Amino acid sequence: MAGSSYKCARCKQKVEIDVNVRCPFCGHRILFKERGAAIKEIKAR
Amino acid sequence: MEKIPSLQFEKEPIDKNSVRFILSNSRSAFANAWRRAMISEVPSFAIEDVRVYDNTSPLFDEILAHRLGLIPLTTGGDNNYLSRAECSCNNEGCEKCTVTLTMSVEGPLLACSKNLISHDPDVQPADPDIPIIKLASDQKVVVEARAILDYGKRHTKWQPTTVCGYKNYPSISIDARCDGCGQCVEECPCGILEISKRKVRVIEDKLDKCALCRLCEKICMNSGIGDMPAIHISTEEDRFIFNVEGCGSVSTEEIMKQGLMFLKREADSLSNEIRALL
Repeated sequence: MAGSSYKCARCKQKVEIDVNVRCPFCGHRILFKERGAAIKEIKAR
Repeated sequence: MEKIPSLQFEKEPIDKNSVRFILSNSRSAFANAWRRAMISEVPSFAIEDVRVYDNTSPLFDEILAHRLGLIPLTTGGDNNYLSRAECSCNNEGCEKCTVTLTMSVEGPLLACSKNLISHDPDVQPADPDIPIIKLASDQKVVVEARAILDYGKRHTKWQPTTVCGYKNYPSISIDARCDGCGQCVEECPCGILEISKRKVRVIEDKLDKCALCRLCEKICMNSGIGDMPAIHISTEEDRFIFNVEGCGSVSTEEIMKQGLMFLKREADSLSNEIRALL
């Protein structure tokens, strides 16, 4: 999971997932995966 | 001697992007070749490559890119752009073959084609109010789109036409057995028939509206007139009614002209090939 960061849906803190899918700050279990910084190139088809 | 083909345009065009005309003294082979050339052999601009810098909207990048690709972009007939295949940049994309459009929008907003900023004022979205994406607050889209010149045969987004079709010119004859029962007048979905002096006739100037559906023939047969209906629908084999509608990227005259130019180029190259063989 290295490099992928998540955001807690309740406290909006940045979270790294190790074993449990749970926010270490508030205990909330809904996390959003953040969009990476890479530029995406796609065909318009 | 063969008659010279001629064009006759309708007096009042429906709008600037559509035209209806009659092609006379021609053949169905030519009419169909011209129709196909207008659809798929007239170059126009469309977005092909999209670079997504940021997209926190509910739409996936791919859907957003597809929506951008379908926006018609104005393509003047006298532009000096080359298609990617003809360009010397080796598919890299340079200023001779590529137009860059950027869109940077933040919600709450309905992002429309007018939010696409083109670096060439001649290549713009054909309509400013085509919706692209609806953004809520805190949602953001930053994209850079690259438009290239290509042909409708590659993908629909490069077609300059929306509607482009023809039909043979209708010919309606009513024989002496017509008793003026009026059933065909009621049945005709195009409303081109009327009763005059206890006989059915075609309303003046409405003959070209006939859809060739033959419902009038069918109802005439069912009225118990005999083995043959009193009204006959046929077509003129050398006369065609064309309906050409552009999407705004290329003007209708330019579509017609470039379609013909393509046919001429093809015919010339064929005759050269044949000459080389002899």
